[in-house]
Amino acid sequence: MNLFELKERLQGEGILICFSGPFGHGIVEELGTAVKRYLEAAETRKSAIIDVFSVYIEAAQNVRNYSDRRRAAGAPAGELDENIVVIARRDEHYLVHAGNVVDDADVADLASRLDRLARLDKAELKALYKEQMRRERAPGAGAGLGLIEMARRATAPMAYTFTPTVTGQAFFSLCIVI
Amino acid sequence: MENLVLAATNSTPRVDFDATTGVISLAGESYPENAFEFYRPLLAWVRGLLAARDGAVTAEIALSYLNTSSIKSVMDLLDLLDAAHRGGRQVAVYWRYEEDNERAREMIEEFREEVTLPFFIVPQAG
Repeated sequence: MNLFELKERLQGEGILICFSGPFGHGIVEELGTAVKRYLEAAETRKSAIIDVFSVYIEAAQNVRNYSDRRRAAGAPAGELDENIVVIARRDEHYLVHAGNVVDDADVADLASRLDRLARLDKAELKALYKEQMRRERAPGAGAGLGLIEMARRATAPMAYTFTPTVTGQAFFSLCIVI
Repeated sequence: MENLVLAATNSTPRVDFDATTGVISLAGESYPENAFEFYRPLLAWVRGLLAARDGAVTAEIALSYLNTSSIKSVMDLLDLLDAAHRGGRQVAVYWRYEEDNERAREMIEEFREEVTLPFFIVPQAG
């Protein structure tokens, strides 16, 4: 592998930060600090810094928490390593991408939640956020607010794909434009 | 009752809960690995304070960023204080933010919309 070519490719795509592999909270935190430093130097709009940071944290913690739940359910370690998070810049926008293997059983539900969020305007997203904030949390689950939070910060509907992996599983890829 | 004091980390706020004065302070950013675990003892402490004494309780908050699971936990904290306020207790929240941080202000306003207790949003020079 030619690292220079890889680096050129990343740069060509506008990628500021990319992490591929299994990650724990320490890495989420370190990358978050790096993102924030970059943005504070490159970006004067404080709201843009917070929006990008917030979407990155929610996306990365979603991937991480999902990996944890799959690990607890006995998923093979190799699949859990296939996590990726990317922060890129394109013109006046920032893009946060997050990818991971998801169980077939979760694909339809995830797709329908994202499709529903894509149809809502900002006021409807706020109402849904508040409704979810007031809902009792299921034991062991998160607040259920992460995707709604990302949708609220996004400037376009969140785009997603499911790509079949060599082992026949679904690789979920989410892109949020800020 | 013991005070509850925790130093800030990258992803957790400084905590300074004073049982004598009834002032509970939180400052910094909050996006820990497990927000519910982090906030559980804080909520238990505040419940204990409300049960142990009758005096005023003041929340001095300077949280500038919260991830969504921290949002949920801080809402639980404000709900506890709001219930005490409705029960006749003197309770107030002062939430400070840097005046050029529009997103922090929006987040704080959304919290304020959820409660009825005296809630002051205090802009400060950045």
